[in-house]
Order: sequence, then C-alpha cells, then structure tokens
Amino acid sequence: MNLNRLILFLVFCIPIGLAIPSCVEHSKETIAQFPPSKNDSVTIWIRASKNTSHTLNQRKQFLTKAYHSIKTAQSDPLQLKKLTSIAFQNYKLGDTILFKTRTSEALDLATKHNDSFAMGDAHWNFASYYNQKEVYDRAYYHFNTAAGIFEKNGHNYESAKMQYGMSFIKGRFKDYSGSEVLAFLAIKKFKKLENYEELFSCYNHIGSLQIDIYEYDKALFYFGKAIDNLKKVKNNRDLKDAIINNIGNTYLRKGDYQSALQNFNVLLKNDRLKQNNKKSYARTLDNKAFCKLLMKDTLHVSSSLNEALRIRDSLDNKSGILISKIHLARYYTYAQDNVKAIRVAKEANRLADEIKNSRDYLESLFILANLDPLNSKTYLKRHIEYSDSLQIIERKIQNKFTRIAFETDEYIEETERLEEQKIWILITVLGLILIVILLLSFWIQKSKNKNLLFEYEQQKANEEVYLISLKQQEKLEAEKIKERNRISEELHDGVLGKLFGTRMNLGFLELKGNKNILEQHQEYLNELQTIEKEIRNVSHKLNDNTDSTQVNFSNIIKEVLESKSKLGNFEYSLEIDESINWFQINEVCKINLFRIVQEALHNVLKHAFAKKVTLIFMTDKKNLVLKIKDDGIGYNIHQRHKGIGIKNIESRIKKLNGVLNISSKQSEGTTLTIKIPKK
Amino acid sequence: MNPKKYFVLIIDDHPLIVEAYETALKYYSKHNVNIEFSIHKAHNCDGGRQLIKRVFRLRKKDSIIFLDINLPQSKDGVILSGEDLGLLARKLLPRSKIIVSTTLNNNYRIHSILRSIDPEGFLIKNDLTPLELLHTIQNILKDPPYYSKTVIKLLRSQIVNDFVLDHYDRRILHELSIGTRMKDLPEILPLSPAGIEKRKRNLKHMFNVKKLDDRQLIIKAREKGYI
Repeated sequence: MNLNRLILFLVFCIPIGLAIPSCVEHSKETIAQFPPSKNDSVTIWIRASKNTSHTLNQRKQFLTKAYHSIKTAQSDPLQLKKLTSIAFQNYKLGDTILFKTRTSEALDLATKHNDSFAMGDAHWNFASYYNQKEVYDRAYYHFNTAAGIFEKNGHNYESAKMQYGMSFIKGRFKDYSGSEVLAFLAIKKFKKLENYEELFSCYNHIGSLQIDIYEYDKALFYFGKAIDNLKKVKNNRDLKDAIINNIGNTYLRKGDYQSALQNFNVLLKNDRLKQNNKKSYARTLDNKAFCKLLMKDTLHVSSSLNEALRIRDSLDNKSGILISKIHLARYYTYAQDNVKAIRVAKEANRLADEIKNSRDYLESLFILANLDPLNSKTYLKRHIEYSDSLQIIERKIQNKFTRIAFETDEYIEETERLEEQKIWILITVLGLILIVILLLSFWIQKSKNKNLLFEYEQQKANEEVYLISLKQQEKLEAEKIKERNRISEELHDGVLGKLFGTRMNLGFLELKGNKNILEQHQEYLNELQTIEKEIRNVSHKLNDNTDSTQVNFSNIIKEVLESKSKLGNFEYSLEIDESINWFQINEVCKINLFRIVQEALHNVLKHAFAKKVTLIFMTDKKNLVLKIKDDGIGYNIHQRHKGIGIKNIESRIKKLNGVLNISSKQSEGTTLTIKIPKK
Repeated sequence: MNPKKYFVLIIDDHPLIVEAYETALKYYSKHNVNIEFSIHKAHNCDGGRQLIKRVFRLRKKDSIIFLDINLPQSKDGVILSGEDLGLLARKLLPRSKIIVSTTLNNNYRIHSILRSIDPEGFLIKNDLTPLELLHTIQNILKDPPYYSKTVIKLLRSQIVNDFVLDHYDRRILHELSIGTRMKDLPEILPLSPAGIEKRKRNLKHMFNVKKLDDRQLIIKAREKGYI
C-alpha cells in the first residue's frame, strides 16, 4: 500500500512536464501572420528578435526599438497586436519586468480600443507568465478572464486553450472533476477545429487525472484516445515517447508490471531517445528500474537508477534528481542497506523542501519514518502536519478558483444580461421608431386625403356657387327684361298715346291766322309726329329682348371651341343634335360637360398637334353622347400613364355616372367618346 | 232728306285721343250735313263691353267702333284687351264697322288682329294725322276698308313671302322676340318642348338662319314682317 502511494506521487509529475509547453507557446503563429504594412520595420525588428543568431542583448534591443516605433506611430488595432507580440517576445527572452509593463500597456490599449481579442491575448500572456512563476491562483484568474473574453467573441481555439490551461491548474490542485469538465469543454471545441495536437494534450491530461483517482482502465482508455489523435499529427515522436511513458506508468500503478515493463522497453529499445532526449531517457530508465524493483527483480536496478541520477544530475533536473533519490532510497530499503537508504532519503527530503515539491517531501518523510524507528514519530508527525497544511492550502486555492470562476460567471452573466437588455432596448427603440414612422405616414396619408377631400368639396361648392350665381343672374336678367318691357310699354301706351291725342287735337283746332302761321302749325304737328316715331323706336328697342342674355349652352361650347381653335390653329366643326333639349339637362351636367370639353380641347392643344377637331353631341334613348375627335399625333393608350386632364375628365364622367372610351392610334388622332345617361 | 245717323263707340283709355276722335267726327259731320254721329265713349274694357251690349240691345245697325287694343282689362278678367272687345262686337254687331286704332306696330299683333277681327279700318296711331283721320272716316262710311300705311306695308311684305306660318309659329317668334325663355314656352303654348324645338328648327330653316342662332331668327322674322 505504501508503495502504491509512492507511485502515485511519482507519476504525477510526468503529465505536468508534458503539458506546460503546449499551453504557453501560443504567440508564435500570431506574429508570423502579420501582413507586411507601412510599419514593416516593427515586424522586421520583431522577427530579428526571434533570430537566435543574434545575442540576447541585441534581440532585446530590437524589441525596444520595435516598441518605440509603435509608440511614436498612431495607435491602431494592428499596432496593438504587435505590442502584445513584443511583450511575449520579451517574456521569452526572460525579461519579465518589461514583459509585465508591455502587457499591461497592451491591455490598457486594448481596453481603450475595445479590442476584445487583444484583451484576451494580454490576459493569456499574464496567465502564461504566472503559470511559469507557479503563482497558480493569478494564472487561473487570467486564464479565466481570457477564456471569458474569447468565448464571448467566438475565438474558439483561444478559449479552448484557456480552458485547457484552467483544467491543468485545477488538476494540479486535485479538483479532478472540475478539471475534467474544463478539459472536455476544450475537447469539444478542438474537435470542431480538428486540432489533433491539442486534442492529444487534452486526452493525455484527462488520462493523467484518471490515474490520480485510481481509475487506471479509464486512464488507459483516454491515453488510447490521445494516441489516436496523435497519429494525425506530424512530427509526433517526442509526444509519442511521452505518451508511451505515461501508459507504462499507468500499468505500473495498476500493478501490471509486465505491461509497464513492455512499454518502457519499447522506449528504450532504440538509441534515439538516449541521444536526442536525455531527460526523457533518464526518466524512462529510472521508471523501468523502479518497475523491476517492484517486480523484485534487482538485476541492473541499482546501476540503472544511478545512471538515471547521473544523467539528471548532469542536466540539473532537480525534480528528476529528487525522484531518482527517492527511488534509490526505496531500493536501499529493499536491499536492507538502511544507512544508505536514510542518507539518500534525507537528501531527497532536503531537495524536496528546497524545490518545494510537497508530494516528494511527504514521500521522503514517509520513507524516513519507516527507516529510522527512533525518529519515526517525529517524521510521521511532520508528515501529518505537512500534509494537513497542504490540504488546507489546496482547499483554499480550490475555493479561490471557484470564487474566480463564479465571479467570472457572474461577470459573463451580467454582460449577457446587459447585452440582452441592450438588444431589448434596441428592439423596443426600433419598434417605437417603426410605429412612429407608421403613424407619421398614416397621418400624412390622412391629411393628404383630407386635403383632397377638401379640394373636392371646395370644387363642388364652387360649382354650386356658380350655379346659384347663374340662377341669380338669370333672375336678374329676367327682372331686367321685365322692367325694360314695362318702360317700353309705358312709353308706347302712355306717353305715345298722350302725344298722339295731343297732336290730333292740335290738328283739329281751327286756328285763325295768316297762311304762314298755319303752315308753321302744320310743321309743328309733323315734328310732333316725328317725336312720336322716335319714342316708338326707343320703345321698340327696349322691347327687343331677344334671348341674348340667356346662357345658351351650345353657344358657350361653340365659343370655347372657337377660342381654342384660334390658339391651337386648328379647324373645328361642331355638330349638335337638334333633338337634344338642353333645358331638360340639369346645370351640373352641363357644367361638367363644358369642363370636359374644355379639358379635352386643352389636351388636344397641348399634345395632339391636330389640324382639325370635331365635336359631336348626339343623343339616343338613354344617353347623351359626346364625341371629341382630333386628327393629331395620337398616343399609345396602354403605355402612357394618365395625365391630370384625362383623370379630371374621368372623375367628372364618374360623377355623372357616365362612361368614357378613349381610342387612339399613333399618328391617327384620338377620339374620346363619352356617354352620359339622361335623367 | 233726313241725315243718316251713325252710332259711334269710341273705346280708348286716353281721354285726349277720345277727344281727338270726337273732334274729327264733329268736324266731318259739320262738313257733311247728311251725316250725323251719336258718340259714346268708354275708357276701358268694362265700359267698352257695356257700350257694345247697349248698342246690341238698341239694335242699332249702323254703328262705328273706334277700338284701341291696349286697354285696361275687364274686372272679371274675361275681356283682356281691345282685341277681345272687337271679337265681341263682331259677334254681337256683325254689321258694325270696326276701326282698330292702336299704337302697336308689332307685325305679329297686327297680323293676328287682322285675322281675328278683320276690321274695316286699321289705324296705326303714329301714322295718323288729322287729315288722315278724316280720310279714314270718309272711307269707312263710303267704301271700307281703310288701312294705315304701316299695315299695308306689312301685308305687302307678307304677300311677297311664300312662307306659311301658322298661329303657333308666329307666337313662338313673338315670344322669343320679347325675351321669353325656351323653357317657359311650354307653359305659354299648348305645345310640348320637343314640339316647340321642332317648330323653331323649321322656322330657322325657313328664314335660312344658322341652327344655333335664335337672335338671327328674330331679326330675320322682324325683317320679314312676322313680328
């Protein structure tokens, strides 16, 4: 059982060693994607800073130059991306202070520009930085923020990366279920993006988590999946080695030493590992030896363990050294060489304390407690105390993560809520605007209609007024005639009669006088007769009241036709059926007919260029028929839209319940035929 | 030889005219000893009717009636003008000699009076002079008829024309000439509007006037002596 726990601690470090690089190295591609622009110098400097052929100082200088040129240039989104890449490059070159300031600047700038991607990128930079510094709560915070930003703006790859990072940190602090959830979220996105390398990392991570909770079969299943994905990745040798090592470790922990050994042997079979990846080689060698030890096959175990330790020593791989020493302590315990075992275990304990590897620290304490019965109690007590404090710390950090996640969730929820609110406000505003527009157009339409109606009524009223005045005039005229007749009669019968009587009587007067006087008398009598004649003539003229003032419809039509014909220089002929009794046709009808004729003639004048216009009024049993014919240019009835003239004519005819028929051919003239029912 | 006595009725609303006639008659009898006049005067239709009836009752055969046309109508509204009185006289006193004396120079009226009363004398007051009046009396007594020049002119112009205008045609022309409206005509004449129109159309055709021109028709009709 002790052994099992030992193995647990041992394996844990391996996936970590694998995972870190894949979550930090992100900005490379971003930089490479920059299109050449007028600020090419910046890009060139950044590129130069990546060139390993320059010295570290030179590369740093390049970055500083790039930074200054960005600063002096106008700030725009492209510069922002460059700034983040400069920051990241600084980070890579180990200048953490500059990295932090540049990233902060980039974040400020991004916030100012509301460039969500740049904001996410800056948080990602911070997260990577804190991850490296092992300030996991801060790292988690930045991952979380970045994930939120990326998620919101649909940057799926980046948000999946962030979730993977968070999953990794959660796994580190034994929140296995939380870690698994995040990893699966990331997997979902990576599957969509068909990013097999990242999928491999995720499955590998989940597999490692399964080991931690003793689900070895599940772990093997996920590692299998990881391998499936790995097959689709090019240049996968190192990753493949790592996964085989992981599988070997899983078997080791499961207790299936044979299978574990097989996997380790696969790795050690060729010399490639030994030559190319000494760290990995040392790890595998160490694991294999430990596996053999567990199989109680001590052949070459000691030499292998020592070889691994030697290699790790040469690489200054402290955690590796620590593991080697613990394995050696295990070996010496098994070989019952307690002195050596205690020495190595104490060394391991010191080292673990030094590099703050709590797991191995606990492990070494445990070994020491077993080896040194005298101090066993102290060791155990320290073990318990330390593991308790460790648990407390882990719990605290877990709580912190939860809090961060919760706050972020809250923040996301809040923004979503705000966003929703915004959308609602927008919809409401748009709706209101639409309603206002509708109301406005409705109102305009209504007022237009009102105007039209008003105009129509005014026209009607005008016509009525005209009719009334016409009647009034007629009456006046009749009275005038009556009065003239009366005067005429008075003159004729009264004055004339009296004059006549006087004259006659004067004539019969037997005047006595000379011949001269009598002649003069006769002359005056004759004069009187002349006066009588004149008065009679006056009376006659007064009496001569031929129907001159009466509104004669036919005459009016003729007048209109005549005046228009002079204007338009065309001949006209007017035919009016004598059997039409104009006195029986009401005035409204006549006025409208007159207007129709006027309108039609106006059209002829304006458009037809006619030589001759014929106007015919006919009648049949039911209808009064008006024909207006011209020999002008005519028009296409179907093509041209109706003018105001024709519309007016139509509306007038409609008022009279009549029918309008227009026939026209190009260059053959136009004929309007109007039928109006008699009443 | 007893002088021959004539019963003379003077019906005129102008006292001056009546006086003039009287003077003329006296003057005539003074110069023709064998003729005497018994003069009776009336100034309106009522008086005229009474006179005519009295003469009728007295069975005076040789009566002379001076008749004005424009007279105040009778109170019962039966006798409207001298024309009606003339008709009455013609009926009651067939042998009486009627001298229509009027200021009218309206051809239509003259024509219609000629037709209805067929007077022995037709005087247009304006043509009349004392001498002519004496002349009229002489002619009436000896050999009627006697017509004023105006009447003779009218008759002549009508004989020259070969138009046949009946009473209604003349009436239509007359009404038009005094400014009666076409729409009022059917109320005045016992004709339908269409009938009136048709007659008018015929008239225009006869007088050779353009279709639309009523005024021209009237002028032409007057020229021809129909109005």
